[in-house]
Amino acid sequence: MSPLLNALACLISLGCASFLWRKDSSPYRNGALLAAFLLLFSVFTYLGAGDSIAADPSLEHYPFRMLALCLCFSTTSLKIYRRRYLVLAQALWCWVELFGAIALYYRGVDAACLRIAALAGITLGSTFLSRISREMEFCLMVFWIAVWFFF
Amino acid sequence: MFRYLMLAGLLLFLPGLGALGYSVYEGPSAWLTDARTFWGTPISLFVFWIGLAHAGTLLSAIFLALDIKLDRRTALIAELSTLVSLVFAGIFPLMHLGVIENFYMVAPFLDARGNLANARSPLVWDFCCIAVYALLSLLFFAVHLKTREIPALEKYRKPMAWLLFPLVLWVHTIVSLDFATTFVPQWRGAFFPVYFIVGAIFSGLAMVNLLACADGYRVRLLERLQLICSWLLCAIWIWDFLFKGYFCTSAFIFAGVLPQFRMVAAVRESRVGRIFLSLSVLIGLFLERYYLVSPMAGTPGEPGFGWIDLGLVAFSVGGFMMLFYAARSRLNDSMEGEGTYFGEVDGSDMANVEESEQFREKTHGLAFSYIQPWSSDEYKTLRYPLLAGFVAALLFVLWICLKLPFFRTPYENVEVTLVNVLPLVYPVIAFVAAVALVCKALWIDKSIEVGRRFYVSLTAGLALLAALAGAFYAGGASETPAGSFASAPLNVYNPADSAHMELVWKARCAQCHGVDGRFNEKFVREFYPVPQKLDASRIDSLGADSLVKVVLEGRVNMNAYRGRLTESEARGLVMYMRSLAGAPDEPDSAGEAP
Repeated sequence: MSPLLNALACLISLGCASFLWRKDSSPYRNGALLAAFLLLFSVFTYLGAGDSIAADPSLEHYPFRMLALCLCFSTTSLKIYRRRYLVLAQALWCWVELFGAIALYYRGVDAACLRIAALAGITLGSTFLSRISREMEFCLMVFWIAVWFFF
Repeated sequence: MFRYLMLAGLLLFLPGLGALGYSVYEGPSAWLTDARTFWGTPISLFVFWIGLAHAGTLLSAIFLALDIKLDRRTALIAELSTLVSLVFAGIFPLMHLGVIENFYMVAPFLDARGNLANARSPLVWDFCCIAVYALLSLLFFAVHLKTREIPALEKYRKPMAWLLFPLVLWVHTIVSLDFATTFVPQWRGAFFPVYFIVGAIFSGLAMVNLLACADGYRVRLLERLQLICSWLLCAIWIWDFLFKGYFCTSAFIFAGVLPQFRMVAAVRESRVGRIFLSLSVLIGLFLERYYLVSPMAGTPGEPGFGWIDLGLVAFSVGGFMMLFYAARSRLNDSMEGEGTYFGEVDGSDMANVEESEQFREKTHGLAFSYIQPWSSDEYKTLRYPLLAGFVAALLFVLWICLKLPFFRTPYENVEVTLVNVLPLVYPVIAFVAAVALVCKALWIDKSIEVGRRFYVSLTAGLALLAALAGAFYAGGASETPAGSFASAPLNVYNPADSAHMELVWKARCAQCHGVDGRFNEKFVREFYPVPQKLDASRIDSLGADSLVKVVLEGRVNMNAYRGRLTESEARGLVMYMRSLAGAPDEPDSAGEAP
């Protein structure tokens, strides 16, 4: 995936996140949105990767990484239990990365240790957060975007 | 009602038992085996039942941990279905191993016996993780069941749920790695962990909804989640198709299309309709597992599902029904709770809980949901047990990976990296934390009073566990083959020595090369590139001396056996392998080298 498409993927995840967990939204709406987003991320990866999709193993879990990032972004709009779901969303991302890396390691692909360590660190660090202010929300989003781009 | 269901289970179980007996007697040739993956019906059934086994506890633990109300009866039904499913999930890998009596060789004693115990193998991870999961699920169920008699236990349920929540996800992820770490094209997928978890939750929801229907009630929350899971799984299947070009139409119809009929009021409001929807999901997900495990099966020129395969399915379904409803009848009084539903009601007490929460939210604002970091009650209960778990996991990693002088392991012949042992880290944490939590409840908090009978049972249980661990470690022999043969040089032409070599072959080589020298794909093909054939003519052309050297020094994926086998034993093994290969002109009658 080229850096431009990688950036676009991050932007799409951010955009999709704004539709989740809106006030008085039903579980059906949120569930349908999650499935639709996953489908969108899959099609994006398929079209964006082009012919390299079969040759690049790191794309295997790319849509799921996008979904995990989207869930992380979406937790900043929650009204209650924010810290709990923030930690869980980051743990999900860390889990997708960790076990994806183990699966790929057996096929000769190096694990993205820095990304996994950064996510594990922020997940653990988030458990210490007290009330999450707007500034803290912004910092977290910057950190996630940095992990997505640079690690 | 339960009696009729047990009878129906018995009718399925008895013919299934015949199929099982025949399969064990005949070995892997009895059931359908895929031409490419070398996996067959037992593994399909293992993946299906282990998914169900994970979903029950996962649902109960996840709902408890996240403060989502689930009535006592439904939670206990889910937990009980987990335990019964685990029994049947555990049977099928043993069948698939071929060498059933050697199942303990995947126990985590690493290279202590010098024959297999490959810590790099997902099979070893499976064994460890599922064993820990089974123990903790049993403990979680027992604690839940006893909370009515001993209310002090209620305090430990939520901390246990927080331990189990990641453990279930972790363990099912490890099952998915059985596939994702191999070279089979259909199993390429770093996304398999998510895929398997969604599949497991989906099948678990269908199972709990089906069992609730049999009990004569329904939980709308679980029915809604079942429909939502179908959408997510369809999205994952579409990605699988885009990525690899493979698609299982029958699974899509049963588990993707038919569940959408829940949107039709006439279907969802009828008990038969709900049973049909849940059964459709279970059938669809079994077909999906079957397709996943054996992608070539049923295609033109390949064998399809036979009577023995159907018998194995009947054995597991019938056995589940018998065992589940036998336990359900016995525990009937303990399982009923204040929120028990009778007949076709929809969980009105859950609606009451939601209303009271909404009222509290309106009255107190959002303040009631806020808890200071690291100050919740469950954290206070769990912190020291968890710390013990982390320390144990750290020592475990140091013991295995770093090989420090203070942490010298009995096994030093196998190269293992952190990535290889990482899958075992959380199960170690969870196991030690659970044991520490039990010790804390019994002897530190002293919140639970137990009688003498408990201590007698505990001592007996620990003694049994220690005896089993000792037996597994010893591998059934107090003297190693190297020790017994070193004192008496081997004459390979002596028929009596040939019998000894057969024993050595079965102990050292059969895991990979197969008992009959025809290659045991379970331990090799899915983890290593396909090796060269070692037929009679190739063995003859390589010569005994070079093969003896391979046995002693190792080659590519074959471990070196110097120090564990004498040279005369190695020579005897080569001769034994040559005898298994038959005459040079016999095609396809030999082993293969990993």
